[in-house]
Amino acid sequence: MRALLIRGQACVFYGAAEFSRDTDFAILATPQNLSRLRKAMNELQAEVIAVPPFEAKYLRKGHAVHFRCHHPDADRMRVDVMTKMRNVDSFSKLWLRRTTISIDPNETCELMSLADLVQAKKTQRDKDWPMIRRLVEVHYFGNRESAHPAQRRFWLMELRTPELLIELASIHPNELRRFKRKRPLLELAQTGNESALADAILEEERAERAADREYWAPLKRELEQLRLTRKKSFRHRS
Amino acid sequence: MIAPEDLVGEEWAEWYRLTPIQRWRESQKLWETYLRLGGSLDPEPDTQSPFFNPHERRARAADSRPGVRVLRRSRV
Repeated sequence: MRALLIRGQACVFYGAAEFSRDTDFAILATPQNLSRLRKAMNELQAEVIAVPPFEAKYLRKGHAVHFRCHHPDADRMRVDVMTKMRNVDSFSKLWLRRTTISIDPNETCELMSLADLVQAKKTQRDKDWPMIRRLVEVHYFGNRESAHPAQRRFWLMELRTPELLIELASIHPNELRRFKRKRPLLELAQTGNESALADAILEEERAERAADREYWAPLKRELEQLRLTRKKSFRHRS
Repeated sequence: MIAPEDLVGEEWAEWYRLTPIQRWRESQKLWETYLRLGGSLDPEPDTQSPFFNPHERRARAADSRPGVRVLRRSRV
């Protein structure tokens, strides 16, 4: 089955510490892959616990399907699956960029790449933003001494720590100049204005959160409608 | 160059330095303790999540009492 571990559990591998009680996957929404997922969920004795129902059309629109497992080895575990996320590439591209981690000799885990995870974390929720900051910090500290251009680009575009952006600007001024048009706050990193840079980072966050709320507005309306329909059908049956 | 300790403190810097698999194992230990103490697997209600449903029925805590109780409070 083609599925990538995303969100909280993936953050643990990459260095942020999130105590996430559910397990989230990005999945490929082809009939064959969904049939494999259905089989896996049956093995876990999982039931869909909220709207929408487990149908490809909802996954392709950007909804998540929520399961609860009842198998004794995974009792009450929550599993959420998604196919489409705001500002995140198609699954086929995510799959090509994935990280594979060997947990033990017989078990590997396929994770969404760090750069994609950072994009997926740019949501309307307070708790996602400190995670993004930590994810990029860990990557920066672990690689800054032997970084290649793609890594430097990632930090210039995604670091949310003013002190580190200023450090990066002083080490790679030419590269920073190239990305200023894409991320205007880099100008403040170059001048070393830490407090103005912190404000600009916060402003960037506000804009992303507003965009995420806007993206979800029609999907939330659809969820509300599905809840209403489900409620009516329960009433009708009883 | 800024040292991780200077930015995020000793504890976080130590976490940052672990390998992905070490972090995963540490997280598993935390899970085992959490479950042994009767921790719930239901996600915390998150009012900011687009999936949040205010009418959803939620499981009660293992001791059927709220997890956080005020034992003492000031007058303010």
